[in-house]
Amino acid sequence: MFTKKRILQFCAAALIFLLADFWMYSTLSSNFRSYEDQRNFNEIELFAQTVPDERTEQSFATWMPTVKDIIPGSRALYLTFDEVSFDFKPESGSETNLSLFNAFRNTPNFQKAMESVYYLEPMRLASTYKADYSLDPDTNSFDEISSQVYFVPVVDETGYQVSGAVMILVPTSTATGFNNLLRTLFIVAAVFFLGIMLVLMFTRDPMTGFMVLALFGIVLVFIAYPLLEAVRLSFMKNGTFSLQTWKESLSPTYLIALWGSLRLGVLTATISTLVGYMFAFLIERTSFRQKKLMTTLATMPVISPPFSLSLSIILLFGNNGLISKQLLNLNTSIYGLGGLTIVQVIGMFPIAFMTISGVLRQIDSTVEDASLDLSATRWQTFKSITLPLSAPGILSAWLLVFTNSLADFANPLLLSGDYRVLSTEAYMLVTGRSNLGAGSALSFILLMPTLTAFLIQRNWVSKKSFVTVTGKPSTNLTELTNKPVRTVLEVGAWVFIGFIASLYLTIVAGCFVVNWGIDYSFTLANWGEALARGWTSIRDTVTLAAIATPIAGLLAMLSAMLIVRKKFPGKRLLEMLIMTPYAIPGTLIGISYVLAFNKQPLLLVGTGAIIVINYIIRELPVGLENGITALHQIDPAIEESAADLGADVPTVFRTIVLPLIRPAFLSSMSYTFVRSMTAVSAIIFLISARWNHLTVLIFNFSENLRFGLASVLSTILIVIVLSVWGLMQVVVRDDKLTQKTISAR
Amino acid sequence: MEKKSVSVTLEHVTKKFKDVKGKADVIAVNDSHFVIEPGELVTLLGPSGCGKTTTLRMIAGFELPTEGKIYIGNEEVTMLPPNKRDTATMFQSYGLFPHMTVFDNVAYGLRLRKVAQEEITKRVNETLDLVGLASYGDRAPSKLSGGQQQRVALARSLIVTPSVLLLDEPLSNLDALLREQMRVEIRKIQKELGITAVYVTHDRVEAMSLSDRVVVMKDGYVRQIGSPSEIYEDPNSRFVAGFVGKAAFFPVKVMKHDKKTWVCQLGEKEVLVERAATDVEVGSEAVLMARPESLRVVESGTGKIEGKVRMNVYLGHSLEAFINTSFGEVLVQIDDPHAKKVFKEGEDVSIDFTADRVRLLNRNDA
Ligand SMILES: Nc1ncnc2c1ncn2[C@@H]1O[C@H](COP(=O)(O)OP(=O)(O)OP(=O)(O)O)[C@@H](O)[C@H]1O
Ligand SMILES: [Mg+2]
Repeated sequence: MFTKKRILQFCAAALIFLLADFWMYSTLSSNFRSYEDQRNFNEIELFAQTVPDERTEQSFATWMPTVKDIIPGSRALYLTFDEVSFDFKPESGSETNLSLFNAFRNTPNFQKAMESVYYLEPMRLASTYKADYSLDPDTNSFDEISSQVYFVPVVDETGYQVSGAVMILVPTSTATGFNNLLRTLFIVAAVFFLGIMLVLMFTRDPMTGFMVLALFGIVLVFIAYPLLEAVRLSFMKNGTFSLQTWKESLSPTYLIALWGSLRLGVLTATISTLVGYMFAFLIERTSFRQKKLMTTLATMPVISPPFSLSLSIILLFGNNGLISKQLLNLNTSIYGLGGLTIVQVIGMFPIAFMTISGVLRQIDSTVEDASLDLSATRWQTFKSITLPLSAPGILSAWLLVFTNSLADFANPLLLSGDYRVLSTEAYMLVTGRSNLGAGSALSFILLMPTLTAFLIQRNWVSKKSFVTVTGKPSTNLTELTNKPVRTVLEVGAWVFIGFIASLYLTIVAGCFVVNWGIDYSFTLANWGEALARGWTSIRDTVTLAAIATPIAGLLAMLSAMLIVRKKFPGKRLLEMLIMTPYAIPGTLIGISYVLAFNKQPLLLVGTGAIIVINYIIRELPVGLENGITALHQIDPAIEESAADLGADVPTVFRTIVLPLIRPAFLSSMSYTFVRSMTAVSAIIFLISARWNHLTVLIFNFSENLRFGLASVLSTILIVIVLSVWGLMQVVVRDDKLTQKTISAR
Repeated sequence: MEKKSVSVTLEHVTKKFKDVKGKADVIAVNDSHFVIEPGELVTLLGPSGCGKTTTLRMIAGFELPTEGKIYIGNEEVTMLPPNKRDTATMFQSYGLFPHMTVFDNVAYGLRLRKVAQEEITKRVNETLDLVGLASYGDRAPSKLSGGQQQRVALARSLIVTPSVLLLDEPLSNLDALLREQMRVEIRKIQKELGITAVYVTHDRVEAMSLSDRVVVMKDGYVRQIGSPSEIYEDPNSRFVAGFVGKAAFFPVKVMKHDKKTWVCQLGEKEVLVERAATDVEVGSEAVLMARPESLRVVESGTGKIEGKVRMNVYLGHSLEAFINTSFGEVLVQIDDPHAKKVFKEGEDVSIDFTADRVRLLNRNDA
């Protein structure tokens, strides 16, 4: 297909289009320029006519700043024509204006302008000049702003004789803004055209080509571009390259925070893995009764909203906590490493539990039987067979929890106290000091350990576990514990679950208390106030999540189909880019989005769209993985049959692929919905006055010690999330059942 | 369902697969060049991995040839995606849509073509009738036996009246009896409808009994194309001879060639042969190929090769005699054994040839 003729044709067509594109752009751009000039001259002439009659220092001082009302951001200087020296002199003005005037009064340009004005011809200096606006109280910028300089004559009473001139500096920013937009538009047009032509000329299946192209577009604009922008800005200071930001970020102040993150991560990961192993062992290797119930309860914290556990820990053990103050009257503080570890372990041990469970389930228990047959004791068997075989699972679980702990943002925000971790530190820099560059630098530092752990888990541990664990999933199970040990495990698990349950109940209780910690009398007032103040947030959050959910689901399944079933160049790259947001902390994504989308051409900050896009991008990886796994289990001949009978790619996707991977599709959607409803780390940077997020509102209430309101909103959020999750779970389970019966041959 | 039959042409088609780890490419199909005539059923026959499936998938459009062109009728289709080609494929695993009923499976192609609902109902029922599944429309494919699933797949392919029917080992999942039935059925329907068909198999009996012509492939190369009797009786290479049936090979030296007859040296004896592959030359080393049924067992000393009967296997219509010779064990098939003299096990015998029933082949061409 890459014949010489075609390539030549393509190049010729591309050249013609590019030339036409460029020609249109430059015509439009220069038209706009002259239109802009004309308008400015008109405005300035009008302005010049309003020159005060009595030409005193005082009257000029009030007159000149009014130029801003005519052309925003501009500044004026009045020059009087001096008959004696036959020259223009500044009448009065701020120091900057004068110094500027002095700076280029000797340039040839200036002389020309003065001559032109003398003959009553307005004029604009050909080149732009950089003016220091720093002393202007109206502009906060400390940078020099490049400006266009206009001169307009002012005539005396006769109307024929020049009496002075108005010199006006107009910042070029508005003009260049438009110009940039224009340029972007034409570049986008060119990229689109070339892409479409490329697909049409060089692929035999244009539909796939377009879909791949569109996916690449999305991924490049919404994943690669913001991250690169974040990298770029962390190396910039005042518009030039500088290592300043990185030097600051690597200073002891922030290294302490990095150390704090790592310490917390290790602690949380270790404890979570232990607890997770206990649960996994109880369920996979003993004849424990309530396996279903226990599994459901133990996986709940995964979908619970952020802040809720922290909130409840504060209610119970905080400075005014029910247990710490009212019952025990202690003076220890829950804020800091201890409290953080507790909430993170509760929130993240399910990850360890599920990972280890998966591995234990895969170990053929006949191996253990064999060991027991060889008259090894149960303990010996566990020590020499089960534990080593599940080692990859343990390591995997540890690394996953570690990554999650480091990326965790919500819990430290409420609970860290004086203990410092990187994720919140980056947030403080951005919101407190508007230092986005440093914020992104810190997030990148945080990225190093998380990415390392993620990659080890992905490429090494998870591969290893496939090698060591072979054999079919076992059907009959070997009891690996004796009675007392099992009892201890069971009691431990129930106590742990009981503790978690009581945390959630505390939140519910918090809804009905006047003022937690001080006045425990019953009230319903919280509900009224919370709903009044939080209603729009609830509505917005649900709306945005509901918009993102189907898009993310469809996009994930479509990408999965393309990646699994189609051949195209750059497939690995595409997959990697889609997976990227999975491995990087939400804080970094949030900051990079703010950096990339608060300017033209993609001015999205402040809109609901950026929140929706962010939801989609962040949840795409999990959906993609689900989709890929599901597709691998489907005979490609089924799709090929459909294509063979005349279905094009979208039809195959709609009528065959989507119905067949419906369970993956549905669970990806429910996952996206739940995660979007409970998002914080990235969203907190993207919310605006118009679009608030429920979790952020909960955070604000908690921070202002309005625990009643925070509890009500948390409860509402938990109820919404749980019902959607539960519903999807039921639908998917039914689906899986039918799926099994139809694919069984 | 009347439609004009079309031909399928492969023009120097080569398919290379890129190896993932950057190793050498796999050449799955190497310069295939042949024409399948309109209405013909051609089988692709060859050992596993020889490129049969790949050839079929290129005709269907699932794979793109690395080089060469493919025509269906007079239209070049090399670049066309599968959905734009007038072909229908029956996959080894059938590829039935598990989430649809049998009726919906068969109706799928018609629905894509926006055929009216009554028409669909009518034609689906007709086609199900044709394959003998008239009352199975409401079933899920998974609730059918292998043979029934196979017939659903056939119905689904036939209903869109394709110009070319492609079948990739469609019978390999069925038991022997069912396989024979379906073979006859497929052949009957194909002939009735006049569809050009390409049939992939590695079962020589299937290939022989089914096809108008057979394409024998090995390692990506087409080794021989011909009618079943041609490739059986007149193979061009040792590989084809051995692959399509039992054969004994004896090393000979070609001495002379005049008009019809080749004179060869086999051990001490001289043998006359009337058929030879095109690449056999006078003076060269060659092999003499003989089918078991074309050899004769004669009294010791009167034939061309001396030996001793090791074992006789009685099969009713014939008898297989295994004879130890200095060229190894040779199998001779004696048809209608009651009418002939049968030598006992352990007896010394001799093997003789009939000049027009043996064939000379190039020795180096394995
Ligand atoms: N998608 C692919 N990628 C790489 N190599 C392939 C691919 N498909 C086939 N091959 C290779 O091409 C060669 C021919 O394969 P093909 O499937 O055509 O064989 P076949 O004749 O159908 O064999 P079988 O009888 O086992 O089905 C084999 O060596 C195979 O490994
Ligand atoms: Mg095959």
